Amino acid sequence: MFFHIVLERKIQLHPRHFGPHLRDKLIEKVLQEVEGTCSGRHGFIVAVTNISDIGKGLIRDGTGFVTFPVKYDCVVFRPFRGEILESVVTMVNKMGFFAEAGPVQIFVSNHLIPDDMEFQSGDIPCYATSDGLVKIQKDSEVRLKIVGTRVDVSEIFCIGTIKDDFLGLIGDPTAGG
Amino acid sequence: MAPNAAAEEEDAAELKLGPDFEKAKCLMNSEVAVILERKYEQIQQLPDPASQVSQVFEKSLQYVKRFSRYQNPNAVKQVREVLSRNQLAEFEVCVIGNLCPDTLEEAKALVPSLAKRSKSDDDEEDGITDEKIEQMLQDLATIKKFE
Repeated sequence: MFFHIVLERKIQLHPRHFGPHLRDKLIEKVLQEVEGTCSGRHGFIVAVTNISDIGKGLIRDGTGFVTFPVKYDCVVFRPFRGEILESVVTMVNKMGFFAEAGPVQIFVSNHLIPDDMEFQSGDIPCYATSDGLVKIQKDSEVRLKIVGTRVDVSEIFCIGTIKDDFLGLIGDPTAGG
Repeated sequence: MAPNAAAEEEDAAELKLGPDFEKAKCLMNSEVAVILERKYEQIQQLPDPASQVSQVFEKSLQYVKRFSRYQNPNAVKQVREVLSRNQLAEFEVCVIGNLCPDTLEEAKALVPSLAKRSKSDDDEEDGITDEKIEQMLQDLATIKKFE
């Protein structure tokens, strides 16, 4: 799910930037340092939408650098256990398939794919029902439920399932829309 | 560590999102699409657009474009109005807005917290009945049709 939240970060600025453009430089630095990063706590920071507050700077002993506490509004993407979302399949193999929902990678193991769907290797590996009507392959759109998340320092991985009511394939590329 | 302990207890099905997100404002995919597209246009005006766009931004933009149910910003606004009339939690509003369930059963399956509350029918306090949910889904379908 995407959220709009307020975060704070301490930005260090070199004294050479002190002048009429101090604020611009600070904002530029916030964007540079936070956009595109990921933390386990807040998820992926997709975009900063507004700088809401710049606090008083504090000169650091010895270096002359100044740290400013900056509050900013941002759009983050944070997956939760139990959340249901739509995703695009990126890779299929006999262990299961990988899907992407925005910046996050989700793995669906073959244990969490309905039993009536089987792996079929070939040019385009896929999971399909025996009648071939439902087929999950690369670029398929799949609705899944997140059952677990693993948080690394700079990335979040999810485990998903499509073994539940109203989950599974949404649109198939071969179905022609 | 405290953050990990919190992560263990998170469960979107019961609306447990942890202290950082309990009161946070959720966004529907369609809303994110509006925000990101505007920002993308701004970035294109800058002298060096390529260096400004992070991978996370690009992936998110592609994703929300592909999965937003409502293209028109006005429709997006209406959807939020309809959904927020019904004493839903922010998170529930956005799940419904993103997935657009067609039927009552689907809505309840996708938003388990909704099913739990609507069980205690007629209880206007916590107030959401099956009829209300159906009405809401119908309203959403109408908005989609006339978008």
